[in-house]
Amino acid sequence: MASGNYMKVLSYLAVILVSFTATKALATNIKHNLQESTPLPRIIALSPHIVEMLFTIGAGQQIIATTDHTDYPAAATKIPKIGTSSRIQLERVIELQPDLIIAWESGNPSDELARIKQLGFKVIYSQPDTFEDVAKELRLFGQLTGHSEKAEEIADKFLVDLSNIKQQFANKSAIIGFYEVWSRPLTTIAEGSWPQQFLDICGINNPFAQARVGYPQINIEQVLQANVGVIIQPLAKKQTDENSYNWQKWPVVPAVKHQQMITIDADVIHRMTTRSLSALLDLCQQAEKSRQYYQQADS
Amino acid sequence: MINLKAIKGKNGWIFACLIIVTLVSIVISMTVGPAKISYGDIFQCVVNTCNSPMQDMVIWQIRIPRVLVGLVAGMGLACAGAILQNVTRNPLADPYLFGIISGAGLGATIAILILPNQQTLALPLAAFLGALFSVVIVFGIATLLRNMNHLLLTGVAVSFMLGSISHFILYLGDPFATNRVIFWLMGSLTRVEMFHFYLIAAMVVITLLTIFALHRQIDALLLGDESAESLGVNVNKLRLILLALCAAVTATIVAYCGGIGFVGLMIPHIVRQLVGVTTMPLIIGSALVGGCFLVWVDVLARSALDNVEIPIGIITSAIGSIFFLAIMYRTRKTG
Repeated sequence: MASGNYMKVLSYLAVILVSFTATKALATNIKHNLQESTPLPRIIALSPHIVEMLFTIGAGQQIIATTDHTDYPAAATKIPKIGTSSRIQLERVIELQPDLIIAWESGNPSDELARIKQLGFKVIYSQPDTFEDVAKELRLFGQLTGHSEKAEEIADKFLVDLSNIKQQFANKSAIIGFYEVWSRPLTTIAEGSWPQQFLDICGINNPFAQARVGYPQINIEQVLQANVGVIIQPLAKKQTDENSYNWQKWPVVPAVKHQQMITIDADVIHRMTTRSLSALLDLCQQAEKSRQYYQQADS
Repeated sequence: MINLKAIKGKNGWIFACLIIVTLVSIVISMTVGPAKISYGDIFQCVVNTCNSPMQDMVIWQIRIPRVLVGLVAGMGLACAGAILQNVTRNPLADPYLFGIISGAGLGATIAILILPNQQTLALPLAAFLGALFSVVIVFGIATLLRNMNHLLLTGVAVSFMLGSISHFILYLGDPFATNRVIFWLMGSLTRVEMFHFYLIAAMVVITLLTIFALHRQIDALLLGDESAESLGVNVNKLRLILLALCAAVTATIVAYCGGIGFVGLMIPHIVRQLVGVTTMPLIIGSALVGGCFLVWVDVLARSALDNVEIPIGIITSAIGSIFFLAIMYRTRKTG
């Protein structure tokens, strides 16, 4: 009798277990089917930084077309191109029928984007002006592409890494630095430009920070007067040293006299993505070396 | 009312050929584009219904408006050039020499910087107003100087002045706006729609009708101001009407298509070799050759390079300058 009861209890338990497993399997199946029935959006990304961010959050496979100069990560070079940052082939956009177009607000042609919107396509704009904007856009792209979880995780890590670098170089003594955007004509940066935040975090004083425009052209006379301790030259991979300004003609500049020239990867520092933090760390570390050099020279 | 005799006679077969070439060009150019659509599908789309909404959108919203706007814009620019060259008796006269492109550029610059999110309406309107502004200044100064022969020189000076204002505004403004304005000035038919075709076509029709009505007076002008006046032509009034007409048609085209250089200068010179200097055949020939030329230039713009659209102004200037020099060389040898 007792064994009969045990058997009964066991069979109930078995039924509960089987039905629980079946329910779970069914639920998983339904979830799986749901995901399959709502495919992830197919995206046209109209700038290298947007493509890079999408790859970072795991949405790289959803990009169906992009523009020229999209070179990172390596997989991005295989994405079909439908124009340059300043001209888009509208016929190709229509042919590809994307679910979403992510455009670079200041870089892409606004009139062509207006026409694309008019034709009924969904256009989202990207305009990361600061590091914080990069994190914000990672989260936004995550929501739009169905990769929220990973995007949140990467955005959080990005902000933590940024905060760590900020802390590391927070109380360093200021050093005067000149950021050479271009040599002919000699062009630098000021408040409101993307690279200025790098100098702010690394404790580098930009003597031209208050200029009226983001990328002011500068007379060499002004640089000679500014007592510049370091000269920062962002150099793209394709660019040769010959394109840089010939500073060796001006030994009166302390940075030239003491050979405190900092070269950084222009492709990394000028692209508004998570990689920019590696350029930030590189710049801060090189600036710190120059700082120590001058401190030793003084003592 | 329209004197068809003027375009008949020995030039008759030339015009017949030009009309056939233009019609064939329109049809063939519709089959070329970056979207892969077969000839059969395009034919189906035009005469019946399209096989897919995608094809419908590409053919009816992109390709046909582009071909038609290219046709009428080429017609308008070439006519304006021909009229200006005959009216000023200056072979260098071109609508752009009145500062129209610099004025439109200034308008576009202001629109791009102040209203970046209202480009569909603000950009062409501002470009149009800028172009008209430059023409008004040029006319104003030329009137003050009391010498209409200085019109072109005034145009060059005003062009530089407005250009420098644009550059200064761009330098002080958003660095990326510079890119947009420069690319806008290079000209493009990518953003055009049917409404633009109707508008530019209306301007071209008004221009042609005015020329049909005034062609005898313009021919008289070719003999010199004094001879024209002795024939009863009010030279200053006629010149002002025609210059205003050219300015209006060019400003409308520039507003929607950006800067398309060399068409107004080059096409009338080519047509003159074919049909002579008389206004009627020259204007009709210029309209046909100009329209045909721009249709083919746009075909090149959208298909010459893989994955990249070439700004149309680059091609017109590149082809135009070489062709123009070749024609001058040929004329030197034979003439």
